[in-house]
Amino acid sequence: MIDTSFVGPFLPEIVLLAATLLVFLLDVLGVRRLEIAGAIGVVGVGVAFFLVAADLGFSPIAGFATIPSGQINVGGPTGLYAFTSLGLVFQLIFLTAAFLVGLASLSRPTGERGASIFYGLLTLATLGMLLVAIAADLIFLLLAIELTSISTYLLVAYTRKDGRSLEAAMKFYIVGALSTTLSFFGASLLFGAYGTTNLRAIAGMGSAGVPTLVLLGYGFLIAGLAFKVTLVPFHAWAVDVYDGAPTDVSAFLAGGTKKIGLFAFFLVFLGPILAVKASGASTLPFGTGPFNVGPVLQIALAAAAVLTMTVGNVLALLQKEMKRMLAYSSISQAGYMLIGVTVGTAPAIAGATLQIFAHVLMKGGAFLVVAAVAGVGVGPLITDWRGLGTRRPLLGVAFGLMLLSLAGVPLTIGFVSKFVLFSSAVEAQGWFVWLAVAGLLNSALSVFYYARVLKVMFFDVADPMPTTVPLAAAASSARLAFGGIGVGRAAAIALVAVVIVAVGIYPQLLLGPIQSAAQHFVNVGP
Amino acid sequence: MTTLILSGFLALSAGLLAISIFGILTRRNFILLLIAIEIGMNAAILNFVYFAAFSGATTGLDGQAIAVVLIGFAATEIAVGLAIVLALNRLKGSINVAQAIELKL
Repeated sequence: MIDTSFVGPFLPEIVLLAATLLVFLLDVLGVRRLEIAGAIGVVGVGVAFFLVAADLGFSPIAGFATIPSGQINVGGPTGLYAFTSLGLVFQLIFLTAAFLVGLASLSRPTGERGASIFYGLLTLATLGMLLVAIAADLIFLLLAIELTSISTYLLVAYTRKDGRSLEAAMKFYIVGALSTTLSFFGASLLFGAYGTTNLRAIAGMGSAGVPTLVLLGYGFLIAGLAFKVTLVPFHAWAVDVYDGAPTDVSAFLAGGTKKIGLFAFFLVFLGPILAVKASGASTLPFGTGPFNVGPVLQIALAAAAVLTMTVGNVLALLQKEMKRMLAYSSISQAGYMLIGVTVGTAPAIAGATLQIFAHVLMKGGAFLVVAAVAGVGVGPLITDWRGLGTRRPLLGVAFGLMLLSLAGVPLTIGFVSKFVLFSSAVEAQGWFVWLAVAGLLNSALSVFYYARVLKVMFFDVADPMPTTVPLAAAASSARLAFGGIGVGRAAAIALVAVVIVAVGIYPQLLLGPIQSAAQHFVNVGP
Repeated sequence: MTTLILSGFLALSAGLLAISIFGILTRRNFILLLIAIEIGMNAAILNFVYFAAFSGATTGLDGQAIAVVLIGFAATEIAVGLAIVLALNRLKGSINVAQAIELKL
């Protein structure tokens, strides 16, 4: 008799795999309509979201849980995968990104090719992201990241006829392949140093192993993963790729797949850092005690965090195109999130998680608005958005909310997440306070370029340029409803705007579950 | 004696990785880039086998198993790269990376 009890916990992943295979099967059979592929993709992601939320134990739907309650947050040695509350929270974050992008893409032009390819790859990439969130083994983690990466290389190029997006795919592929090589090389050195690839086992051996081998291994891993997370100096590809990719795909890359790299940072680097904290050793690597890799990692990650947010913000100030400005702002936000990994306390992890969720909404939403605005005939330059706030008030207000949230203005989710994150760094005392100071200074700097866009949108007078979409004729079709934006995209943008404000006004909505998940993570390890 | 031999093998894979990174950074032909990428993956794969072989029985067959999985993975990655090469060649009639200049750097 074959034991099938291990299937249940993987039901969300199986749903996504089934959706992927179904979309590709229908494509082979000649069924390539956007509505059908889109419905399968969005429903698949929605069902997976429902199942993961049930696993987390949200009260009305907890009865649908597929993971036995005794299997979540179990300490001790693990196999290839382990279910933690934080991992499930991240699964929800990843599924949110996929759901928003899938919903918005329902409004793509009718004649466009490749709808089935788009939705098939979207669900496949999401499947890889879910696997990242439950990984407990370095090789399993890297292979799950690659499942997502390979899907996204193709997702960038799915139109096949657009020179810009093919070129973006080529750059993305080359950089991605280089980062994969570095990650696996680092993993092989850690395997040599510790004799295992299990993340919990590795976390407990921070002071073991040959120091040269350990430091080189972690160094290659940081470099490889830094490409995925767009840390400076491994960030240059991101701007070109976000700029050249179809904008819905940019939303998925910036809002979704970049976050798997951050969760990989949680899994790989928080282990040794937490182990050092538990042992009460010095948090500076210059002591005279025995070698331990944890403090070295903290210094390296802190340097990367400060460098990333500063360089990202300064370059964002200089951009003239909307997509490139958002891409640089996305780079700088990765620096904020890294503060959480560096500090490594439960509140800091909660703050970083909230910041990641906020970034999915803000950045993903912002790219979706850019796609909508491009669809109604507005150019790529920031100055092309002149007067958009008065011409399309609802769209303008939604985009304004996302920018205010990115800048960290109170009553938005961006303020809550930055507040939790920076205050956790201050609470941690010592040199961590300087991370909070760097973060605050950078937030102030970032206000400049977000405010500039707001000024252009709401206070500059528009040219007497007619909108290219005939509004009266457009209203008849659902795809062109809301003045050429479409029902799906309008729903996705509205959803983002509502959640940004709702969490901003009532943070406990999310903060409670995330904080308890972060506490569990600190207790049981990655 | 064993450590001496192991470090020799490690030097080999470090050299392969250096060749790979150098190739990725300097080559302008996409096919040669793919070859450079493959060399780098093989450096990592070889490392797993060395460490497994030299650690004796303590890691079991983990290293060798990982190596086999990674060989399969590397093939997948290269297949996707070739697909991008084909699409690029059809659209532009060239697989030279340096000619891809539509996006500014």
